[in-house]
Amino acid sequence: MYQVVVPGDFLSEETKRAGEGTYVEEGKVYASQYGIASERGEIKVVPLSGKYMPSKGDVVIGKITGISFPFWIVDLASPYEARLHVSALSGITREQIEFGNMSEYLDIDDLVVVKVMDVNALMKIELALQEDIELRRGGRLVEIPHTKVPRVIGRNGSMIKMLKEKCNCFIFIAKNGRIWIRGKEDDMDLASMVILKIARESHTSGLTDRVAEFLDSFRKEKERG
Amino acid sequence: MGLEIVSDVRTDYVCNLVRNGKREDGRGFREYRDISVERDVIKRAEGSARVKIGDTDVLVGVKVEPGTPFPDTPDKGVIITNAELVPLASPEFESGPPNENSIQLARVVDRGIRGSEAIDLDKLCIEEGEKVWMVFIDIHVLDDNGNLTDAAALGAIASLLNLRIPNERYGLTGENTLPMRDTPVAATMVEIEGNILVDPSFDEGNAAASSVTVISNADGTLSGMQKSGSGGLKEAQIAEMVEIGIEKAGEIRRKYL
Amino acid sequence: MKEEIELIKDGKRLDGRGFDELRPIKIEVGVLKRADGSCYLELGDNKVIAAVYGPREMHPRHAQDAKMAVVKFRYNMAPFSTDDRKRPGPDRRSVEISKVCREAFDPVIMRELYPKAGIEVYVELLQSDAGTRTAGINAASIALADAGIPMKDIVSSIAVGKINGEVVLDLNAVEDNNGEADMPIAMIARTNTITALQMDGRLTKEEFERGLKLAMGACHQIYELQRAALVTRYNQNYESKKEER
Repeated sequence: MYQVVVPGDFLSEETKRAGEGTYVEEGKVYASQYGIASERGEIKVVPLSGKYMPSKGDVVIGKITGISFPFWIVDLASPYEARLHVSALSGITREQIEFGNMSEYLDIDDLVVVKVMDVNALMKIELALQEDIELRRGGRLVEIPHTKVPRVIGRNGSMIKMLKEKCNCFIFIAKNGRIWIRGKEDDMDLASMVILKIARESHTSGLTDRVAEFLDSFRKEKERG
Repeated sequence: MGLEIVSDVRTDYVCNLVRNGKREDGRGFREYRDISVERDVIKRAEGSARVKIGDTDVLVGVKVEPGTPFPDTPDKGVIITNAELVPLASPEFESGPPNENSIQLARVVDRGIRGSEAIDLDKLCIEEGEKVWMVFIDIHVLDDNGNLTDAAALGAIASLLNLRIPNERYGLTGENTLPMRDTPVAATMVEIEGNILVDPSFDEGNAAASSVTVISNADGTLSGMQKSGSGGLKEAQIAEMVEIGIEKAGEIRRKYL
Repeated sequence: MKEEIELIKDGKRLDGRGFDELRPIKIEVGVLKRADGSCYLELGDNKVIAAVYGPREMHPRHAQDAKMAVVKFRYNMAPFSTDDRKRPGPDRRSVEISKVCREAFDPVIMRELYPKAGIEVYVELLQSDAGTRTAGINAASIALADAGIPMKDIVSSIAVGKINGEVVLDLNAVEDNNGEADMPIAMIARTNTITALQMDGRLTKEEFERGLKLAMGACHQIYELQRAALVTRYNQNYESKKEER
């Protein structure tokens, strides 16, 4: 049971429960986003679109876009850039990373899995390296709007579980809409295609079943061919 | 963006005063600063006036030259209004091409004159389809202390009231004067915390979220309106501003034009 | 002196409309792939596309505002949009309209949520028939929502004018060119708050007040259309998929 709302739509008078995607004016809660309103627990609006805004604790895939000792500048698919300090790496490698050799560790265009440690009022974002997930060669990056990530994960992880099994791939979905896939070329093709399909049709019902059917019929085709 | 740089401290100061029914210079909410209008100050212009409202100082010069009419109005003269926010007038004005504020100022003043049809464009025709008089109204802001619009508009009308048509200079014959048919006057107001203040000072202009300019004629009809700024207004506030605008314009017209 | 062209015949306007009738409006949400949000809108013979980029990093750096996003609004007419070709590039009229349109959205965009970032709104008039800035504002509202820009409200816009002595709604080009006054407004329907207002031409105070009321009522109608376009865009897909099963 969901309800599409637009900015300015009246939601509730229970201002204490006002959450994300809403604002309070004169004792009433209104939607501030174009999205799906939900009133279980918090009164909130889940936006159908919008940019990823980093918040403390998020684990995301970043792309190195600059080197400015002692920081790497990292793009997070957000309006704001983030910084990764050399100590984040030198702690792991136990080597002295210097001004001249930063690119030997992480170079422009490299992908890293990072955790957002802090975001201050001036939108300075500090990162730490997420050690347990490595983006090894042979994989590929798929980018979807971050608002579709919950759909790709599915309720209780049902969608992503199915994808991993039926596509036979390692799949890591980051909060900022970047998804890392690794497997055989054909399998990765299938996984990419399905992920993009889920993102496109994210607002429809019966998606999980449709995706399962799609994957099964694809397999059958392959077996026949 | 220059004119909109707001100093929070000054904004708070202005708002506090308004909450207590006061203004920085002790004026009432419906009171204009001292106005002075000096006509014919530039000999080389066909019309000119220098208007001061408080410390705001604007010089308007009108040049009249022959030119080609627009294709769709071959028998009508042309009015072209421009405003220069020259750097000496304010630390926030930069030299360079016109920015949105100077363009808005010129177009609002122009709108008032055009809407009132104060200038009979038919009388500016020299040779239909070939030659008409072009009236260049150039607004030169000398000191920006708020409410440039009213000063510029008043200067424009004062300049046009005794406009000389330079027939001799161009070897033409014709009427050497062009009487105005109406006297549109602009009255600008701002809204601060629900209060309407006329003739905003520099700080009041910056502190206010919205400003409305109402241009009206001698018979009380409107010939231009412009809301500016980042705020919103209710219908009732706008209606009140129109009332006040017409009233103030009447006062200014009687005293200075 | 404007020739008295007969714009009203037997109580109806030349295009058959009544004095308080809007031209037909068509709205499509999310029509561009690259932009973060977009909208195609027709208001009578006006055809406009609005696109929104952002929030994104704002350049040049010195123009950034440390406390909130900076909004840029660019209204532009395509060279082929008018009878006489319009030279490409901003002219004085477009600059003023861009400013007025940007200010129409200032009261609703929650800029404080994106310090230092920039939000860019681009309105392109592909075909013009008077009321272009109102069509642009209506389209921009939807494009901003489509881009996920947080706003307090949707802004709606329409113009009223005076033709042959009558106050009428939503002038077309013939009426605007031969009429006595033109007054575009923008408004937040929910609170009846006016965020843009201009008037040129000549009106009595009473005509102005009547015109303003007429315009405000029409903005409510337009708001319903804007809202419906945004809501049905997702519901339609939901419904059609439901039937499939």
